[in-house]
Parts: sequence; C-alpha cells; structure tokens
Amino acid sequence: MNKQIRKLVAGLLVLYIGLFAMLNVAQLVRKDALNANPLNNRQTIRDFNRMRGPIVTADGVVVARSVPTIGDDQFKYQREYPTGDLFSNVSGYYTYSFGSTQLEKTQGQVLMGDTTRQKFDSVLGGADNTGSVLLTLRDDLQRVAADALGEREGSVVVMDPASGAILAMVSFPRFDPNAVADHDTQYAEDVLTYLNAFPGKPLLANAYQENYMPGSSFKVITTGIAFENGVTNLDRSWPSESEWVPPQTTDPIQNYGGRACGGSMVEVFYRSCNIPFAQLASELGPQRMTDGVRAWGIGEPLPIDLPGAVASSFCGNVTPCDASYFNDQLPLLAIGGFGQGNDVMVPLHMCMVAATVANGGRMMQPYVTDATLKHDGTVLDRTDPTVWKTPISPGTAATLNTLMVGVVNRGTGTAMQLAGGIQAAAKTGTAQLNFVPGQPQRSHAWIIGFAPAEAPRYAVAVILKGTTDEVSASTGGKLAGPIAKTVLDFLFASEK
Amino acid sequence: MGQSSPIATARRNSELGLVVMAAGITAVAYVLASLGKNSQMPATIVPFLIALLGMLVATHIATRFLARGADSTLLPMAVLLNGIGYVMIARLNDERAAKQTTWTFVAVIAFVLTLLIVQRPPDLARYKWTFLFVGAGALMLPLVPGLGSSVGGARIWVSLGPINLQPGEFAKIALALFFAAYLADNRELIAAGTRRIGPLRIPELRYVLPITLAWAFAVAVMVAEKDLGSALLFFTLFTVMMWVATERAIYLVLGVVIFSVAAYIAWRLFPVVRLRVDVWLDPWAQYQGKGYQPAQAAFAFANGGFGGTGLGLGSPNKIPAASTDYVYAAIGEELGMVGATAVIIAFLLLMGAGLRIAIRADRPFEKLLATGLTTIVCMQAFIIIGGVLRLVPLTGITLPFVSYGGSSLLANYVLLALLLRVSDSGARRRGEVPDLLTIGERMEARRLRRGERQAGHA
Repeated sequence: MNKQIRKLVAGLLVLYIGLFAMLNVAQLVRKDALNANPLNNRQTIRDFNRMRGPIVTADGVVVARSVPTIGDDQFKYQREYPTGDLFSNVSGYYTYSFGSTQLEKTQGQVLMGDTTRQKFDSVLGGADNTGSVLLTLRDDLQRVAADALGEREGSVVVMDPASGAILAMVSFPRFDPNAVADHDTQYAEDVLTYLNAFPGKPLLANAYQENYMPGSSFKVITTGIAFENGVTNLDRSWPSESEWVPPQTTDPIQNYGGRACGGSMVEVFYRSCNIPFAQLASELGPQRMTDGVRAWGIGEPLPIDLPGAVASSFCGNVTPCDASYFNDQLPLLAIGGFGQGNDVMVPLHMCMVAATVANGGRMMQPYVTDATLKHDGTVLDRTDPTVWKTPISPGTAATLNTLMVGVVNRGTGTAMQLAGGIQAAAKTGTAQLNFVPGQPQRSHAWIIGFAPAEAPRYAVAVILKGTTDEVSASTGGKLAGPIAKTVLDFLFASEK
Repeated sequence: MGQSSPIATARRNSELGLVVMAAGITAVAYVLASLGKNSQMPATIVPFLIALLGMLVATHIATRFLARGADSTLLPMAVLLNGIGYVMIARLNDERAAKQTTWTFVAVIAFVLTLLIVQRPPDLARYKWTFLFVGAGALMLPLVPGLGSSVGGARIWVSLGPINLQPGEFAKIALALFFAAYLADNRELIAAGTRRIGPLRIPELRYVLPITLAWAFAVAVMVAEKDLGSALLFFTLFTVMMWVATERAIYLVLGVVIFSVAAYIAWRLFPVVRLRVDVWLDPWAQYQGKGYQPAQAAFAFANGGFGGTGLGLGSPNKIPAASTDYVYAAIGEELGMVGATAVIIAFLLLMGAGLRIAIRADRPFEKLLATGLTTIVCMQAFIIIGGVLRLVPLTGITLPFVSYGGSSLLANYVLLALLLRVSDSGARRRGEVPDLLTIGERMEARRLRRGERQAGHA
C-alpha cells in the first residue's frame, strides 16, 4: 500500500502546484487587468481609507485636502475643498462613486503617494508618503477675477506670457466640489444630476473645455498671418466703406453696426473695422489662411496639464479644416478673417494668443501645476516652460503689440487703461452669434490683452457669454474691458 | 508524565515551539487587523489572548499526556490555520467571531475527548458497522422534515434548538472509519477477484457489495441534498481508499471514468450544473447574478497582489460568503500571495505529516485510516481553494480549520485527534516511545487486580 500512498502524495502535490500556479495568475498576472476592470472599485475603497495629499495655490492657500472623518462614516477620510467653488475647474473633484476629474484625476498617484519614487522613499522611512500639488494659480488673484466676473456667464484667464504658467482661471457658473465629494452616494448623485442639467455647464471648465465665437479679438490672428505672409504693412490704408462684396457672392460684408469704417492699418485695427480684415483673409486665400491658423495651434487640443482640454477651430465642426473647405466658400473665409462665421476659440487659447504677442511670437504651453512635492516638501517634479508654437516672428509680434496698444489708447479698448499709467495692449471682440429666429440677437463680449506693453508680464483673456440681454446689447470693450483692467490693476498693485 | 522518552520529549517540545509560534502569529494578526480596520488596539485583546493561550495549552497538554509519540507538525499547522481563519472572521463579522470562539472551545474539548476515548486505534475498527450506520444516518438527517433546513440551496443543515449543525461533516469521518476498517478486513479478497473478464479480475460480489452500496448511498444522498462539494470529496475519498487498499490502479481508472461520465450527464441534464460551469468560465458575463461572487473574489485576489492590502485594509466584505466558502479570497486580498501561499503550504505540511503517518503505520486499518483522513482534509482544501481561484468549478464546501462554521471546525479537530492517535500508536509499536498502558487500560488493570484481590480473599 505504501507505493500507492507515495503516488497519492505525488498526485496531491500536483493538485497543489496547480493551486499555486493559479494563485500566481490571480494575484500577479491578471492583477492589473482586474484592478482596471470598471466593475472593480476596491482600489477606490482602499484609497478612501488612506490619506491623500493637498492641492495648494502659489500663495499657499489649500484648495483640496483630506481630513479624518468624524462619527460613523464608511471611510476614514473625507476630501474637502476649503475654497469652495473657486478652484473647482482646476482641482476637480474626488468621489467614491463617480470617479475624479481634473487634477484630482491626473495627479492622483502623486497625491496618494503611489508614484514609484514616493513608494521607494516610504520604504526607507516615514509612514506618510502622500504628495502635494503646488499650483501656479494665485488664490488672491483668482478671487479678484471671480468677483470681477460676478454672476455673469463667462471666463477669465490670466497667465505669465513668458512661461505659460496660469495665474488665474475661473468661470461662471462653477460648482462646489464639496457637495459632489459627499460620501452619501445618493446625495452626490443628486448634486451631479442637478449640475448636469444646469444651464451654462458648471461641471465643464468653460475656460478650456468649451469654445466660443471670438469676434474681432480674432483679428490679432488674421493680422499676424497677414504680416507673416507680407500681404500688408503698417503703411497700408483702407478707404472708409460700409459694405464690401467678397468673391462668389452678392451678399455684402458690413462693419459692426453697419457703419462706414476705414483708415490706416493702425486705425482700422483700433477701430475694429471688419472689411479690411475680411479683405486680408481673402487676399491670403484658403491655403495661407488655413496654414496660418494652424500655426497658431487652432485645430489642436490645448496642451494644458489638465484633462479634457478642447481645440479651437477655424471651420466649426468640419474636419479636416484645410484649404479645400474654403476654395468654394470664399465669403466664409472672409468672414472668418474677423472672427465670425465658423470661428470658435477656447478662452484659454485667446489668452495664449495675447501672450504670444507679448512673448515675442512664442506661444508657451499653458500649465497649472508648478510642481509636485513629496510629503517633506522636496520637489518630485517641476514643470519646465516649453514653447508650443511659434506662429509669428518677433518683428510681427512687435507690430501687433503696437497695434494693440492703439486699441487701449484710442480704440475700442479704452476701458483697459490701467491705474498708475501702466501701458496695456488689448484687442476687443463682440462676436455676433448666428441669428436664431424669434430670439434677440446675441453676442459674446471678449477682450484679450497684456501689460506692461513694453515688457509684458501678464496676459489676460475675458469672455462674457452672450446668454443675457445685458451682454448681448453691449460690446467686449465696455463689458469685458473693466474685468481685465480690475485683474491687471490688482496684479500690479500686489507687486508693490 | 510517567517514563520519559527522548523521542517523545523532542516531539512534544518541537510541537510546543511551533504552537507558540502559530499563537504568536495569530495574536499579532489579530492586533493588526483591528489596527487596520479601526486604527485602534482591539478592546478584547486581553480576553482574546487568555482564551487563545488557554485553548492552545489545552490541546498541547492533551497531546503531551495522551499522544506523546505523535507527529509534532499536525497540531501546530491546524492551530495556525485556525488562527488565521479566526482573525479573518473576526475582521469580517463580530457576531460570527463570537460564535467561532465558542465553537473553537467546543472543538478543542472534542479534540481532547477524542484522544481520551480513543486510546488504541483497533478499538475503532471494532465499531465499523456502527460507524457506517451513524454516518449514513447523519447524512440523511437534513432530509428529515422539520429537522433539516436548506441554506443557499444545499439541504445540509440540522436545527436542534439554537444550534445549527452540518451532520455531513461528521458523516465523512464516520464513513472514512468504516471504509478503513472494512477494507482492512477485506482488501485482499476484493483485490484477488475470482473471475476474469479479459484482463480484468472481478471481485466477488459479496465482498464489494457492502462498501459499494455504502458509497453509492452516500454520494446519492449528498447529490440529493445538492451538496456537490461533499459529494465530490466523498467520491474522491472512496476512490483513493479502494485504490490504496487493493493496490489496483483499475479502481483509480474506474473512479475517473465514473466521475467523468457522471459529470457529463449532470452537465447535460441539469441547468444548475451548466450554470456553474458557465460562471466558472466567465463570471463577468453574469456579474449581476451568480457571477458576482467569483468576480468579487477575482477582484479581491488582484487587489491583494503580492504583499496584500494589509489586515483590515482590504474590502473582503464585498464577497458575500467571505467568511465561509470564500475565506481564501479574503486571505488573498489582505495577506496577499505571501499569506495565501502560506495557507497552501500549511495544507501541504498537513498532507505530508498525515501520509507519513500512513506510510509508517504497520497495520492496514491504521494505514487506511490515516490515508483517508488526510485525503479528506487535503482534498477538501483543494476543492474549495481551487474553486475560489477558478482552477476548477466551484462546489461549496468549507476550508478545513479556516472557514467559519462550528460543525466543520469540530469535525476537523476530531479528525486531527484521530490522526494523532494513529501516529502515536505507530510510534509506540515501533518502540519510539514506551508502549505504556493507556489510561483506560490502567483503569481496567486496576479493576482486574481489585477483582483478583477480592477473589483471593474469597
């Protein structure tokens, strides 16, 4: 019988080796696939019982943090957002049942201490290996921008033109992530349902996840392309006309309000005549114009370090946006030259356009994460400023700078004349939206600019969406201009 | 402790050392689980340690006095598995932990009583028919109306007032005892055969009929109770014991063939069986139904990874049967592959010790009994671990010593005591320890002497 018993040992051993092999498959081989399975929320549960690092503004204000829960809670930590709705479009939210967004999503590993380096360091010593995210945004500036915007739908973006660092980025409407991060799943779901149905899309970061018709603020781009291609110069002038009929149509193009408008290059720019820029776009033609807007990054999702950034477009929803689209639609090309028709621009992108002029023609990659830090404050990773596009030469940039100074000093943007005699440069935009029968004419109010003009340190873009009569009845200069001025005045005042 | 023998002392001391280590691991794990779950020391730590040490000391003292020559690894392995299982149950469900504590006390008492009552293995062989009828009766109890009840589809419970029992757990041991005793008596007759059909020798019907009937009856009852795991275990036990006893591989082949045919027919005829196979192959397809539990178990293993989440830090509560059938997945999640492998190794060591006892035993009954009991523990562990890991389709059954469940714990401690008794008996016969009179025999001798004295006086 001993022979059989020895064989039995061998047989059972084989079965147990099978168990061990299967254990390897279950715990090592299939680990990543199973952890990534959407039905599997174990990782989330685990994360909610662990400390998670904070998100902090450049001026040291905590935007997001984890605090131990009190009383009877299913998790050990509650994520809270001490600044309420102010930074919701940058921090995003971190929820148990509904995932996470924005930096809470993209910097999750750093915040949880799950990067390889943090894990390695935590083995060497120190129990808390959570990381933190240091923003480029300033809490004080963000508050000023939010107050200036008030309860009008729109966005304000402020950035450092030389680096691409975003100093403020705020939209209205926005939301309070504290409500979404509530551990009561039913409550959080109700909040999300409400926010999703809310007009103005508060859950979307309007500043970089939406695009709007730019109106005359787009003329900075058209003028830049025209100078780069040599189809115009500062000596050129236009007769005062109220109508111009572009090729392939009998329908004339008019200036804003149907007025007669003309003059030198400087004058048509600060007066914001439409016809000269329609003509510049027509003279450039479909090929050079579409190549030109592509050089400004139009058509590509913005390379910001936040998820879900959208692209601006010169062709609306039509792809590919190239010369062939305009060859038999020259009137559309002409209208596009002054920011109407199929043009749509992301507010952040318009700020980058102003910053490009301010930065001698180099368009920097925008970013909100200055650095990621370990628990002890040492830097894990710091964002290096990177050039994204170089759409114009320094010479063209200097010319556009001059033109934009004219707007502030003598043109549509006088509302942006700054305190203390600091010279600003700007371009306004009043984008007349496509007329919907039965509704009043709607228009977005824009202003983009930078200051000081001679050595720019700040670039700004403001849009007020044309969802109200107040905005639609006014212009970019009158409505958006004061917001930009408030923000820039605050910035220069805070430097002293 | 009577006369000491170096081998017995060495064995008992190494057992004590290992038991203390197992107790230490359990105590540390208990504290860690509480820290992980509530970030505080368990409030019950002092009574827990006293109870734990009390029970361990009791089992160890029992072997020191009652089975001095027995193998020294069996008890520590059982204690370790019991400890790990208890920590997981306590971490999952306070109410169940309290009950498991009570059952562990009862199991330890049963362990000591078994060693005390069964002093010589041949005593057991004498009652083989009793065991057959007790085992068969126990198996049928859940089918008695008013007494038996179903939980989770399987009608394997008997309710006696506040106590719920699974008599099947005890029936397995009783039937293993019957098989061992019957085969020890008849194995040569069965093996020899009288007629030939081709290369096959057919044993005489009167020798194989009783055991075949007992086996067929037991398997039929288990299938009727929808206790497929037990049916599979019992089928394997019978096949292995027939093969070892007769030394004829044909019984192994026959077992595999019968099992395959039965499994195929069951798969064709019963939708329940087909559903189980489907869930085994792809639990995600039926995630909202029967696939939920295996899918959650797979997530648990993945979440654990190599090192585990740490005790109290995973989410094993998401598996509905985490403290019973799926306790292995809970261990895999919180103790990782390291801990799950340790459990496998503990069962391998139990297997090694158990079958070494079988090989060294010199009497067929003891050989077969040790083989059968070890096969029960190891195959039961394989069936449920393999099912939880989806190596084989899942058939619900407890993980010996680890799962929550009083009957299972009680039965396995009795089984352990029987194995130790066989081991001790072998050691006595080989002269490794002095074959002193057992307590029962000493009492008997005293009674006889007293009788003689009285006769002399008369």
